Amino acid sequence: MSAVAAVPTDEAGRPLFELPEELAIDTDVARRVIGGFIRGQLQQAGFERCVLGLSGGVDSGLVAYLVAEAIGPANLLCVLMPYRTSSPASRADAETIVDDLGCPSELVEITPMVDAMFGRDGVAGAGGASDLEASALRRGNFMARIRMAVLYDRSVTFGGLVVGTGNKTESLIGYTTLFGDNACAFNPIGDLYKSQVRQLAAAIGVPRAVIAKAPSADLWPDQTDESEGGFSYPLLDRVLYWRIDRRRSLDEMVELGFERALVERVERLVAVSEFKRQVPPIAKLGPRTAGVDYLYPRRRPGSARD
Amino acid sequence: MVRIALAQVAPRLGALDDNIARHHELIAEGRRHGADLVVFPELGLTGYLLQDLAAEVAMRLDDPRLAELADATDGLSAIVSFVEESDDHRLFIAAALLEEGAIRHVHRKLFLPTYGLFDERRFFAPGDVLRATPSRLGAGLGIAVCEDFWHLGVPQLLALDGAQVLVNVSSSPGRDLAATNEAGLGTASSWRNLMRTYAQLTTSFVVFCNRVGVDESITFWGGSEVIGPSGQAVFSAPLFEEGLFVVDVALDEVRRERIGLPLLRDERLEWQLRELGRVVLERAGMAIDSTAEWGAQPGFDVAPSEPAGPEEPAGRGERASAPIPFRKPRP
Repeated sequence: MSAVAAVPTDEAGRPLFELPEELAIDTDVARRVIGGFIRGQLQQAGFERCVLGLSGGVDSGLVAYLVAEAIGPANLLCVLMPYRTSSPASRADAETIVDDLGCPSELVEITPMVDAMFGRDGVAGAGGASDLEASALRRGNFMARIRMAVLYDRSVTFGGLVVGTGNKTESLIGYTTLFGDNACAFNPIGDLYKSQVRQLAAAIGVPRAVIAKAPSADLWPDQTDESEGGFSYPLLDRVLYWRIDRRRSLDEMVELGFERALVERVERLVAVSEFKRQVPPIAKLGPRTAGVDYLYPRRRPGSARD
Repeated sequence: MVRIALAQVAPRLGALDDNIARHHELIAEGRRHGADLVVFPELGLTGYLLQDLAAEVAMRLDDPRLAELADATDGLSAIVSFVEESDDHRLFIAAALLEEGAIRHVHRKLFLPTYGLFDERRFFAPGDVLRATPSRLGAGLGIAVCEDFWHLGVPQLLALDGAQVLVNVSSSPGRDLAATNEAGLGTASSWRNLMRTYAQLTTSFVVFCNRVGVDESITFWGGSEVIGPSGQAVFSAPLFEEGLFVVDVALDEVRRERIGLPLLRDERLEWQLRELGRVVLERAGMAIDSTAEWGAQPGFDVAPSEPAGPEEPAGRGERASAPIPFRKPRP
């Protein structure tokens, strides 16, 4: 039996994060598989470099370390894209990661682009006067999509593929912005639950402060995922793991000790966000239709750029 | 002593010419190492996740490119795997034994997994024939492809048909990183258990050649192995690393093991055939299921605990009550 890496502790000897036993992974094998995956994706596409948006959180932080380990830090461009309300602490954490890795980085403030849409200080933007009152949800989605647009632009200038940084937990409950933070050329951590992201982050050397802080989409000040969603990640991860990976029925979940109401709520989140995890359907009209009965690997002979 | 070279390679998906060139290189390298047999993984000539590319990389057995590969086997043997197109245009996942310039044997994958992450039956036809084959190594070979070894009858039949060396060529996708897995990977742990068990129960060598590299989302884990007839590993290649691994195998261990542990001698094939024949008929509903309880579904001996319908099963009415394996003696 492989040794399960002990969860690192803070100065007071408390664990940095909670790692449910059944979710513990072999981090050496994970790094190995993910490293090969990253190199394979690039090779098959004819690229040698990567671009990612670095928020200062543990997900993008982990991916930065994984990419740097796989292809060398010089081949990774980290783009920091704060909005004016973004947490300065997040930006400081992102800068710490960039310094630690020694990779190229760039700061692109998205404030003017976002404010140009929704307006600012009572002055209407492109969206008209009513957009001054735009909801936090709309603003958050717009910010995520502006960041996506910046990354895909830098994909051209830096000559790198955009690497996804979304984890399995947020993907399954739909806590992502379609064509925003979930847009990417490939995703190395999309099959790891949040608890596993933290475990791997600790193993690869992501700064402890980044691992220990409360996860946040940072779409408005003091927002945290867990307060917004009303759940804790370790519990949510366990519900998803037993329900989806281990195929337990609702009744079996209750027998395992989960609250029925919680499981039902998670199920609704998963079902209602199915569309975010799939390629949009094309109306079937012709003899062969992409994704239906025209089925080719993304990377086939001739698919790599010259 | 037989020297086996395991080509734990990462084929390029759909790039047939590149992969053929790589096979030629590795056969030549195997020859330099004095290998008697060079084994390549499942679909090593084409890559695994082909989907609609399968027809585009398919070769007929008279394909000149296969003939050239066979020509490269002067003085040694090689097992290569590719998409075979038959005369009636079925596509098979095939593994061929090439020896002394000829295709000596072709195995068409019998079991095409179409569940979980697998979708093979959509694109391929299953083979119907399983045969051990003689080889210039002085031993019978039993060649099978990946999923074939997840069916108990396959290694058993190959051993009974005359194989002393069972060869499984695979493209096994790695999955399950749970920290509790012995080999660090659930797939690797399962395969290792299978191969040791088969080697021991068939008292044969088991040669496993699994690919590495990445097709789309899937990472193949390598870990090629040679297991001796006592179930002990002779050689284990590293996980995920590409390479040509050379292993010496003492074939006389088969004799020693089979004399000391004569499991194959003691097999009772007539009994097995008889009972299998019974099960086949019973599962087809063509014979009374002699071991089933009242109301049990075909193939499942236990009746529902609370009968939902009438006492007599509707329609067939041919089930025996309680287990009555043999005719009752007359009082």
